[in-house]
Amino acid sequence: MEIFTEQIRKEHFLSRTDARVKIISSLMILVMVLSYRGIFFPFFVFVSGMGLCYKMKIPLKRFLLRFSEPLFIVSVVLILKLFFSGKETLFSFAWFGITVIGHSDGLMEGIRIACRIMGAVSIVAVLGFSTPFNEIMAGLSWMRVPRSFVEISMFAYRYIFLLFEDGMVIYNAQKNRLGYTKIRRGLNSFGVLAGSLTLKAFDNSHNTTVAMVQRGYDGTMPLLKQKPFRLAEVSLSVLVIAVMGIIWTR
Amino acid sequence: MKVLHSKSAVQGLYLLVVTTSCIVLTVCEAHAMHISEGILPLNWAALWFVVAAPFVAAGLQRLKKLSAIDLSFKPLVGLMAAVVFIISCMPIPVPSAGTCSHPCGTGMSGILLGPTISVLIAAVALLIQALFLAHGGLSTMGADIVSMGVMGSFAGYLTFKALRFMKVNLSIAGFMAGLLADWATYITTSAELASGIRGDSAFVPLFWKILIAFIPTQLPLGILEGAMTAGMVVLLYKKRPDLLVKMRVLKPEEIAI
Repeated sequence: MEIFTEQIRKEHFLSRTDARVKIISSLMILVMVLSYRGIFFPFFVFVSGMGLCYKMKIPLKRFLLRFSEPLFIVSVVLILKLFFSGKETLFSFAWFGITVIGHSDGLMEGIRIACRIMGAVSIVAVLGFSTPFNEIMAGLSWMRVPRSFVEISMFAYRYIFLLFEDGMVIYNAQKNRLGYTKIRRGLNSFGVLAGSLTLKAFDNSHNTTVAMVQRGYDGTMPLLKQKPFRLAEVSLSVLVIAVMGIIWTR
Repeated sequence: MKVLHSKSAVQGLYLLVVTTSCIVLTVCEAHAMHISEGILPLNWAALWFVVAAPFVAAGLQRLKKLSAIDLSFKPLVGLMAAVVFIISCMPIPVPSAGTCSHPCGTGMSGILLGPTISVLIAAVALLIQALFLAHGGLSTMGADIVSMGVMGSFAGYLTFKALRFMKVNLSIAGFMAGLLADWATYITTSAELASGIRGDSAFVPLFWKILIAFIPTQLPLGILEGAMTAGMVVLLYKKRPDLLVKMRVLKPEEIAI
């Protein structure tokens, strides 16, 4: 769970920027990355994202953790496209009596998708690393995302840490009592773990509601109040999007 | 020139595969079935958002209706989203694939809170995962909601209801609901992935290749999801049967027996 905390470095200019500006800019660049047909623009976005993560002093382990799954997907896509897509032969070899053929056009298509994935992931990583969850939610609410959706997201985020801690206590207790030594026993233990978390969710929801009603809860949660937009931030954002747009059209 | 191009491409590929493998094997904890950020081109990403939207809207409508009756319903949905999030963050070793993976939890939430609310729960869990774990993505959220939220929840819910209607044992019904919810998610994800990355290739062969590529992970994972769902239902039945009645999973007379 440490992936959520401590990564917000307030001294960095991106962390101080209005969440709405960051969300809108990120979404616009994301659309450009997804709609680009070549390699250059997504790769440029990826490198820029890496640079921003470096400037924000994101720890290497956390950074690698964030990119591990996309990298796994990238490797699967590259293999699929290289060997199962395309017509132009790049290389071939015999493997247990089967002729394996790698295709150059398939590889190029794979690299294009890989760049798109890494470019898109780096945009969202910068947004996630530089913006606290409650600010993102307030920004989404300002963007007319349904209030109920924002509220249950806030509830979920608030209780992830609590339930995760409870879950780890149960998991470690099960492990210490050899709950995961055999497949059948492991499956049973995991079922009990899931059931216990569900029970805790039911109990906590009741207790939370009672406590919240005592404090005036009427079915809607208060969200962060939005400050007015700052001209410098908006101007910088427009400039960045314009530069990205120019690169995108080339 | 072409030979040089080919040679450098092979070297580049070799370097990429080795680097990727090193990073993935060093830090990888969970390879699930969410579609990664950026993998779908804009048109496909938009299409899946359009497909997912009515289900999310139905979930929001139902949430509004139920939370007007019971104030604790909104916190409960939020907490269930947290449970689904946590369950999908628990790395479980999958020896056949040599990696770790994790279940989805939407079959479970589908049974307990109904499929439309479960779609909403999946959407919330996916949003948090996309923002903070790079697990799934913002652009692929529509596709992930359709596979994990819609297909997973409805497959789990309908299987459970059908088996209970046929008087099948509670744990077997729970197991089958979890199993089919997981496999429905996995099959839908394979179809979404194949349609998104196929380029000029034919859809069906690529779909089968993706489906087969993920079998070593997803086949045992489905069993895990089934066991988890069965365990959850049985535990609730033993400890808090009143909750199962309240959530309309069981009828009061089934508890009395």
